[in-house]
Amino acid sequence: MASERQIAANRRNARKSTGPRSGAGRKRASHNAYRHGLNLNMTSTAAFAKQLDKLVREIVGNTKDAIILERARAVAQADFDLARVRRAKVALIERVSAFGELDPPRIFSSVRQIIRFFNAVDRGQVTSFPERVDSSAPMPPQEPYRSAEAMRRVLPELRKLDRYERRAAGRRDQAVRALSVEFTLTAISSCK
Amino acid sequence: MRRRNELALLPKSPLLITESADEFDTLRDAFEREIKPRGIIEQMYVHDICSIVWEILRLRRCKVVIINSAYYSALEDLLVQLRQPGQQDFSARDGARKLAHAWFTDKEAQKRVLETLGRFNLDESAIEAKAIRASSSVLELLDRMLTSLESRRDKALGCVAEYRASLAQQLRESADRILDGKVLRLEPEPNKRSTVA
Repeated sequence: MASERQIAANRRNARKSTGPRSGAGRKRASHNAYRHGLNLNMTSTAAFAKQLDKLVREIVGNTKDAIILERARAVAQADFDLARVRRAKVALIERVSAFGELDPPRIFSSVRQIIRFFNAVDRGQVTSFPERVDSSAPMPPQEPYRSAEAMRRVLPELRKLDRYERRAAGRRDQAVRALSVEFTLTAISSCK
Repeated sequence: MRRRNELALLPKSPLLITESADEFDTLRDAFEREIKPRGIIEQMYVHDICSIVWEILRLRRCKVVIINSAYYSALEDLLVQLRQPGQQDFSARDGARKLAHAWFTDKEAQKRVLETLGRFNLDESAIEAKAIRASSSVLELLDRMLTSLESRRDKALGCVAEYRASLAQQLRESADRILDGKVLRLEPEPNKRSTVA
């Protein structure tokens, strides 16, 4: 169990750990949780918003009903998300097909390895610099072997993207159902 | 014309540079002929189904190529395993490599491989089995992805049917209301007739 002195020291230290203070540090920290951006809402770009609006109008026509418009927007948004994940999948395969792997070959695979290496240098245990580790074997030059090998290498990432694709498809199906219900309700109320 | 406008609004399905856009269009046309989509929502689903099927075909092709590309090393390993009694591993490996290389093109080499396999009551399917075993971890991942895609394709087909049924229901209800006279009065009211007369 920690002594009172240790607890007080921990508290003092914790008060100093308030995260980044400078603008640049805060900006950098804001990207800490960023992984691939597939969960981002893309309506922020003007061109995309325009394209989305066109699709929404095609779905619902000239209606001014805010609920129907919102439902149609959800359908269109999910459909665009689906397309975005598919583009990401193809881009990954193309990248591996061109370069052999997703990331350039590294000498060290983790920060811990770098620290260990420099500690060993300090102790005089290292006489030569480590060789670059290239985990990828040469890519086959001919199709369809090259594409198949690229897909094989990128399969774990494709599996992860598959989850996002399923989620976007689920969102779209749900939105279509909600839109359908809304159309029915509007039709009933207009007949009364 | 309307179909072209609707397709232009939907996000394009990305293809690999080695894939043909014409073949993709042919596949989509075939689905459109079957499903006969009406309206942008159904068109959206057809587009989705077509993209899923395209990806399924891509994965199936990949599976075959992965097994085929494992053939060479599978045959080499098999020939080493079935070496003559008393033959050293390294000398057997050298011979097996040459024979496995020739097996793809040379009839004589194919005959020799068959003879070797035959001594152990095996045939060429043993090579395939070895190749599949060597790439089983990748094939398992591919199979999982295929299963997921196939379930999504079926779900999308179900959604088209559901959407169409709900639209049909709406139309039926509207038609019923019209027939019940709730919306339109087909027979003129008596006092109006007298006025006209």
